[in-house]
Amino acid sequence: MERTQIIDSFAAAARDPLSYAKQWKARTGRPVIGSFPMNFPGELAHAAGALPMILQESDDPITVGHGLLFPFYCGYTRSMVDQAVRGDFDVLDAIMFGDHCVQLLGAADAIRMQLTNTRVIFFQLISSMCDPWTQGRSEESFAKLRAELEDFAGAKVQDEAMHASIRLFNKNRGLIRRLYDMRKKGIAPLGSVEMQHVVKSSMVMDKAEHTELLEKLVRIYDSAAPLPARNVRLHLSGHFCQAPKPELLEMIEQCGVTVVGDDLYHGFRYISTDVPEQGDPIAGLARWYMDRNTGVPCPTRVQNNVDWDAYLLNAMRDEKAEGMIVLMAKFCEPHMYYYPEVKEAFEKADMPHLLIETEHDGMALESLKTRVETFVEIVKHRQAA
Amino acid sequence: MKQHVMGVDFGSTTAKTVILDLNGNIVSHAVAHMGAVSGNGVKQSMKDALDAAGLTQADIGRTVSTGYGRRMLDEADKNYTEITCHARGAVAMVPGARLVIDIGGQDSKVISVDSNGLVSQFAMNDRCAAGTGKFLEVLARAMEIPLEDMGATALAAQEKLKISSMCATFAETEVISLLAEGHPKTDVLGAVHKAIASRTLGLVGRVGKKGPVVMTGGVANNPAAVHYIQEELQMPLILPDVPQIAGALGAALIGLDDYRAENRQLLISEAEDMAREEQMAADKACVPGCRGVPEFAVDPREKQPVPGKLKSLVGSLQKHF
Ligand code: SF4
Repeated sequence: MERTQIIDSFAAAARDPLSYAKQWKARTGRPVIGSFPMNFPGELAHAAGALPMILQESDDPITVGHGLLFPFYCGYTRSMVDQAVRGDFDVLDAIMFGDHCVQLLGAADAIRMQLTNTRVIFFQLISSMCDPWTQGRSEESFAKLRAELEDFAGAKVQDEAMHASIRLFNKNRGLIRRLYDMRKKGIAPLGSVEMQHVVKSSMVMDKAEHTELLEKLVRIYDSAAPLPARNVRLHLSGHFCQAPKPELLEMIEQCGVTVVGDDLYHGFRYISTDVPEQGDPIAGLARWYMDRNTGVPCPTRVQNNVDWDAYLLNAMRDEKAEGMIVLMAKFCEPHMYYYPEVKEAFEKADMPHLLIETEHDGMALESLKTRVETFVEIVKHRQAA
Repeated sequence: MKQHVMGVDFGSTTAKTVILDLNGNIVSHAVAHMGAVSGNGVKQSMKDALDAAGLTQADIGRTVSTGYGRRMLDEADKNYTEITCHARGAVAMVPGARLVIDIGGQDSKVISVDSNGLVSQFAMNDRCAAGTGKFLEVLARAMEIPLEDMGATALAAQEKLKISSMCATFAETEVISLLAEGHPKTDVLGAVHKAIASRTLGLVGRVGKKGPVVMTGGVANNPAAVHYIQEELQMPLILPDVPQIAGALGAALIGLDDYRAENRQLLISEAEDMAREEQMAADKACVPGCRGVPEFAVDPREKQPVPGKLKSLVGSLQKHF
């Protein structure tokens, strides 16, 4: 299979996840469980025989959903509610979400009220990550989720099935991390839109099918030699729940940028951390939940010994990135709260960064292009100085 | 090697061209007002600048474009954004400047410049024409007053009115209702300019207030805009002689850096040539330090012309003949 064929398969699922879900359901006769970002353990739903699918922001303008959420809610939550009201989620047999921010909770309530025939399962996750009871409380949450799933599926979710799912998900994450590593070294020249297709489709597709394609893709690059890069090397940061619009990513790269790393949810954040494969699987998932925040820190969690800004600066040193573009979804509260710390740390470290606030409906791309080009010029001048 | 470089600012309402010699001196500049983004406008400004300098495009070693239409100019060897170019041009016009406020036809930007004259941070109007020349243009039309008279009229404002909307269309409605309420044009125009100033202060806040502050762009020619921005900022604005050409000047200076760097070898050998010629002349001189023109004879030990010695030498020669 050719590289482009594999990427095209990923892109098709990434562009239209709900159609993929319909086809999968028709093919397998099994249920589809939609979940919200960020900490839903897809392994559990997979072990219960369902297709876990992370629900994606749609490109369509917000219409009827306007009546249910305030316009200052982020594009992701507004789009979720809009899709729910329009009936797009009819293919889903259940929706599950853990709380991670106030806007998401609001969206979940609105959806619950609209989709009275869909099972909506809520699980609460402790947000304080370094207390002595964090592991125990996380285990309780995941155990509760397992019980809910068993009730939904009408059958026990066995430990062996969970271990098998964990192994498959780990393998999938590991392969994507290899791609990230190869991209950093210039061996896998994947553009940021292609990388988004890889990760986003992993949130949507049947894990075994996705993993098989990934293995082929990695093999193609395995024997490749590093390509010389003359562009400015940048890191992309932000967007905790929604995929940045491909046209925005393309525009950034057209300005003479090579994206060498990211901590986007539709990027490295999603695949940063594996679940322990030995021992009690619920304890393993709790460990994964805690480790994710040290893997790639998240501003929605509280952990005194972890700094997102310090993580970013370290990651960029490793990626040999010369600057960072921050993509902040309007109006993502956790991001807005944390951004001043990132800004201060980057100014102190004399590391250039550019903030771009993104919107669900329409962005002035041409004016943004001027800003990105200026940023690239600043980075180049600094190198020359 | 050619002896001139050109910077062209292909803006939204005007086109500006600056021609520099290789020492960075402005040889000519031109501003063409041609309405909206216009290929004819830019050609006109380039032609005017070339004519004024007595040059043709073939005499230009490097052309750099900037502004909205920067990618549309065939003659340009390279293009840079208006932010980079305005910063460079403004600092060249006002050395030591640390903040540049540029308000042009369709955008307004505030650029903070580091001590090396490089852009360190910037903020732009990100959505509509709020706080730009376009905003003034729309309201001038609504108030039936020539754009160029707006500033002077607004300076005569007595009562402080407020226009709260920064959207040109909504502001137009506000302006019309203020006029309908019987407020004089002067006061309404004062409020229009104050609205631009508040918007500008918002951009300054995003990059950090510091001085000296230079104002560039077409709106810098509007005395009321300058007055109200100074009042909001509580800092003086330094205005270059021709504020509109800052971007084109910056583009030309970047072109000059580029051209000089690319021709470093040639520039060095030209300098070397001169030094060698001087050395040869000095070696051949019958009078120490003479370069073939006795009046300029210099005694290398004294590093000064030696009229006394020269006179006696000329006198003894005359005696011989
Ligand atoms: S974390 Fe931000 S992007 Fe995600 S749901 Fe909350 S507000 Fe929206």
